[in-house]
Amino acid sequence: MNTTVIVADDDQDIRSLVSIAVGKAGLDLLASVGDGALALAAIQKYQPDLAILDVSMPEMTGLEVCRAVRGDSAIGDVRILLLSASVDEQSQSIGIEAGADYFLAKPFSPRELASWLSVGKEPR
Amino acid sequence: MSDLLNRISERLSSDLDHPSPAVKQSATAIAVVAAAVLTLLVPGLGFSNTTVAVTGIAIIAFATLLSLIFTRSEGLERYALLIPVIDLFGLGAFRAGTGGTASLWASLIILPVVWLAAAEGRRYIVYAGLGTSVALMVPFLVSLSWPQTPGEWLRGFFTPLVFAVAAAIVNELARQSRKQLRSIKDLAEEKERMLQRTVEYAAQLQESEAKYRAFDRMFRGVWAAVTEQSVIGTDATGLVDAWNPGATKILGPTAAEAEDKLHIFDFHLPEELEERARELNYPPGETVLNPGFSALVETARLGQAESREWTYRRSDGTLVPVQLSVTKRVDEEGRTRGYLFVASDVTQAREVARLKDEFVGLISHELRTPLSSILGYLELMRDDEDNPLSEEHLQYLGVAERNAHRLLRLVGDLLFTAQVESGKFPLDSRMVPLETIVTAAIESARPVADTAGIQLVQKLPDGPAVVHGDPVRLGQAVDNLISNAIKFTPRGGTVTLALDVTADKAVITVRDTGMGIAASELDKLFSRFFRASTATRNAVPGVGLGLTITKAIVTAHHGEMGVESEEGVGTCFSMSLPLSAVAAAV
Repeated sequence: MNTTVIVADDDQDIRSLVSIAVGKAGLDLLASVGDGALALAAIQKYQPDLAILDVSMPEMTGLEVCRAVRGDSAIGDVRILLLSASVDEQSQSIGIEAGADYFLAKPFSPRELASWLSVGKEPR
Repeated sequence: MSDLLNRISERLSSDLDHPSPAVKQSATAIAVVAAAVLTLLVPGLGFSNTTVAVTGIAIIAFATLLSLIFTRSEGLERYALLIPVIDLFGLGAFRAGTGGTASLWASLIILPVVWLAAAEGRRYIVYAGLGTSVALMVPFLVSLSWPQTPGEWLRGFFTPLVFAVAAAIVNELARQSRKQLRSIKDLAEEKERMLQRTVEYAAQLQESEAKYRAFDRMFRGVWAAVTEQSVIGTDATGLVDAWNPGATKILGPTAAEAEDKLHIFDFHLPEELEERARELNYPPGETVLNPGFSALVETARLGQAESREWTYRRSDGTLVPVQLSVTKRVDEEGRTRGYLFVASDVTQAREVARLKDEFVGLISHELRTPLSSILGYLELMRDDEDNPLSEEHLQYLGVAERNAHRLLRLVGDLLFTAQVESGKFPLDSRMVPLETIVTAAIESARPVADTAGIQLVQKLPDGPAVVHGDPVRLGQAVDNLISNAIKFTPRGGTVTLALDVTADKAVITVRDTGMGIAASELDKLFSRFFRASTATRNAVPGVGLGLTITKAIVTAHHGEMGVESEEGVGTCFSMSLPLSAVAAAV
């Protein structure tokens, strides 16, 4: 069974770019949404293996979604990759503290994201 | 009172001390005229020798004429004593002509004798005696015969002796009178001087009072004009005794409501005062009543100027952040009398700083997101194996990618500069061998240098050069210097990167053979967005952030930047960093 993924970013183009990388890595994209609240709902609904979340999103930020996911035992074991356009070095540690497993700074290379996803696609 | 004294003294001196020769002579002249008239009119009298008597009168007339001349011309006055001497001869002759030794008018001789005797100096007593003697001897001179009887001899000497004694008394009296006059005059002069001094002192006093009033008006004007800063004066316990309009504007209470009623610490947050007191280890201060107040004025109490941020609480309870300077007020003996608190409302400044940070963050985020898409999709295009691009298209793609990266670097530099300015400048410090940084910088710059036709030279020291710092930031600083050097050096030039180690520091120098920088621009070089005229003239691309960032990085590592340049010859930038203590010990 393929690793299942949901993607959330308020920027439609970035969302598509991530989705393409997910496809290239051969993972199953279950949902692609534009804000944090929808992301949390999608995670609860699909219970994916991996959630790729942008940090700054309307409704709920990526960090808030992280904390909500880690506080919910039913979906608590989903892995989370945070995307951020911030270069502030603190933002990475804040993300990890909020419960994210991985952190990726924008701009990113879709090629590298795809290769990373294909290596790490096996569920834990 | 002193006026009267002066007048009396002047009168005395002019009439007694300095009567004119004519006035003095008038007594003798009148007496002789009277004597001559009486001699002619009174029966039984008469001239015994008319020629001699008339000669005597003529001599007196001559002396009187002389006295008038002396009175008129000032320069001759010192010869005035000749007149009584001449008088003595005249009177001697007159006496000889009116009966000789039996003459009724012998006593007139006393008049010139008194004149002579009253002159200053004891010798005039002798002159008076001799003069009398001569005058009394005139009858014998006229008859050309010596005195016949012992009585006549005696008269020739005894009478002059009596006259000399009288002269001595007159001389002494005159001397004493002069002395008294002189002391009265001295006294009057002293009074005059004191009066003059009093007048001068009063004038000075008036002048300094006018100055004081002008200063007072000036001070009150300034005090009232300061409406944007609160200026509050307190005594040594913090009780307000001065309150300007600015304090009313910032804090609420009027001067009447605050002065002598409120304490400065009533407007401070207790927790801030407590925290500061803890920081300062609870300084004793001059009042133990309020440790917070002691902490507030501690630096000022020690005689230093202090300016820091505090929060004031207005009378309506709202808070206002202020930049507060505290200074000590001292009296003339240097004792602390209280403190002066000058505060500016920094609400707006803080808001501006916050907005600026927010703006920079937003811009950075908003610029990086579209750049992420541009770079991402360009890469997808390049990687699309189903529709491979032509060589030409790949070249176009390369240009687009290079420019997108350039834009990305610019955004990064802007954000970094903003972080440096707001003091948020994270350093991930560890032990860094500088030679690896230098080598890496050379390697990454080599492709660009090759394309530009510039030779890169690297000079490393024999030993290690380890500093404590952030390798990424230090690499960024060196990269900036090298890429600048390459940009500003024409084809065929050389860029030399050298690392030197001294006793306590490592120095990295980047020397180029480029266009150089004008001496007048060297000090502006590290300012944000500054571009040297040689850069703009030669159309070298850039925005003027690289050196600002480089300097900020070096400064954050407790290092120093230096630059030497000569236009048309080249430039040499140096960054010196303190060697790590651990490494130095190895």
